[in-house]
Amino acid sequence: MSGAAAARTAADASGGRRRGGAVDLWICWWVLPVFYVLFGLIFVLLARVIPPPRPDRSPEEVAAFFHDHAATIRIGFAALMVVIGFTGVANGLVAHQMKRMAVSPVFAYAYIAALAVGALPGCLMAAFCFLAAVFRPGRDPHVLALLYDIGLLTFVGSLGCFTTQYLVLALAILLDRRRIFPTWMAYVCVWQIVTELLAAPVFVFKDGPLAWDGSISFYMGTVIFGIYEVCIIVLLFKAVRDQPPGEPVQD
Amino acid sequence: MTRPAEMARPAGTPRPVPVTAQWTALWLAGVFGLVLLGAFVAFPGFLPPMSPRMSAAQVAAFYRDDTAMIRFSMILFDICGVMLVPFAMVIAVQMKRMATPTTVLAYCYLSAAASGATLFALADLLWLAAAFRPARDPQLILLVNDLAWMVFTAPVGTVVVQNLCLALAVRLDAGPRPVFPRWVAPFSVVTGLAMVPAAGGAVVTSGPLAWDGAVSFWLRIAAYGVFFAGMFCVLPGAIRRQAAEEAA
Repeated sequence: MSGAAAARTAADASGGRRRGGAVDLWICWWVLPVFYVLFGLIFVLLARVIPPPRPDRSPEEVAAFFHDHAATIRIGFAALMVVIGFTGVANGLVAHQMKRMAVSPVFAYAYIAALAVGALPGCLMAAFCFLAAVFRPGRDPHVLALLYDIGLLTFVGSLGCFTTQYLVLALAILLDRRRIFPTWMAYVCVWQIVTELLAAPVFVFKDGPLAWDGSISFYMGTVIFGIYEVCIIVLLFKAVRDQPPGEPVQD
Repeated sequence: MTRPAEMARPAGTPRPVPVTAQWTALWLAGVFGLVLLGAFVAFPGFLPPMSPRMSAAQVAAFYRDDTAMIRFSMILFDICGVMLVPFAMVIAVQMKRMATPTTVLAYCYLSAAASGATLFALADLLWLAAAFRPARDPQLILLVNDLAWMVFTAPVGTVVVQNLCLALAVRLDAGPRPVFPRWVAPFSVVTGLAMVPAAGGAVVTSGPLAWDGAVSFWLRIAAYGVFFAGMFCVLPGAIRRQAAEEAA
């Protein structure tokens, strides 16, 4: 972020409508990097689902996994119960920019709907399964193994909500003559769709590159997701900065 | 952003009655709010709330002994819980009328409300599944019961973010006649933040943060109830002012 932009942001944060972006948009924008940093901390450092533990473990090994990581799973996923709400802010901000595009708002509304639903199968199911696994001692290892499978399969293998999200965003960008987002971002979205499709084999394979911890199903998708996130945060920054004050936005 | 009241409209132009749907949604929320209150009282596990320290045998006995009332109350939750969504959408519609720089916060609110509905819809199903076969292995009934209470108690983020978005929008509403009174902003923040500690209901089994604790159960439900009641009192005024402005 440039110094001038930072100064504008600070000026906007002090209240009132000024040139260089609306204060509500800036507040929503700031939620995104903060949310994704917290999200990363929760999933990578605390809850241990990124990188995912192996699918080819015995129930006893799964029980040991939950036993070893019980404390961090509790801290991480309890935090997620609050942090997850901020996805709503991210969805609203992207949908707002999509509504500014010279294209029907159907894609903006589809974007919100797909992601509002996606939070449960794509993220919270894993949290509930892991939290239930570490909630009390003495559960049968076979029950723990079931929770482990449901948690990780839904986390890595929840595909439809996000495929829909990327598809409607890509279509909106391609059809938009105002170039709110540059055309290349549509192709970044297409790559995201490809990674979702390549995660489909996680329901079949228990080891190798196509398993839920595999180099293709997991690592490639995660790297491309990281690229996508950086791109969308930078493009949203530019879009918010360049939105003229008082510009009418379609309903 | 041009406010509807400021837009020129030729005299005698027929216009739709935009507030009828909002009144209807408010009535729906009132009726179904009372039904949900009844379901809450009827569920044998709420007054007092079931303890997370109950053994598998005790939990299995609870589902075996009170099966009929568990099913009755949770089927009511199943049918009526998501009926509160139109109420949230009245708030979203009123947020869009505010003289905020953009309408983005209304869509953030809508998105968070929809995510929250998916969770509200899930908890009662788990309770009903736990009651479906009382002869099931008590360890499995205990697991489903744990999941039901966690889903019911812990994922507070969506409501918290809804309330923060509403508060920010009220704060930024710079029109001469604010859509909501100014006190709605701190009211929304305080009731929202009061629900945050309930996230601990998914991790601890005793004390105020446990799912049956003073904070995670009583404070969270009271905060939600007070917020609902407060907005129920504020919304009719906002809808009336909208009708008056659009008729002018």
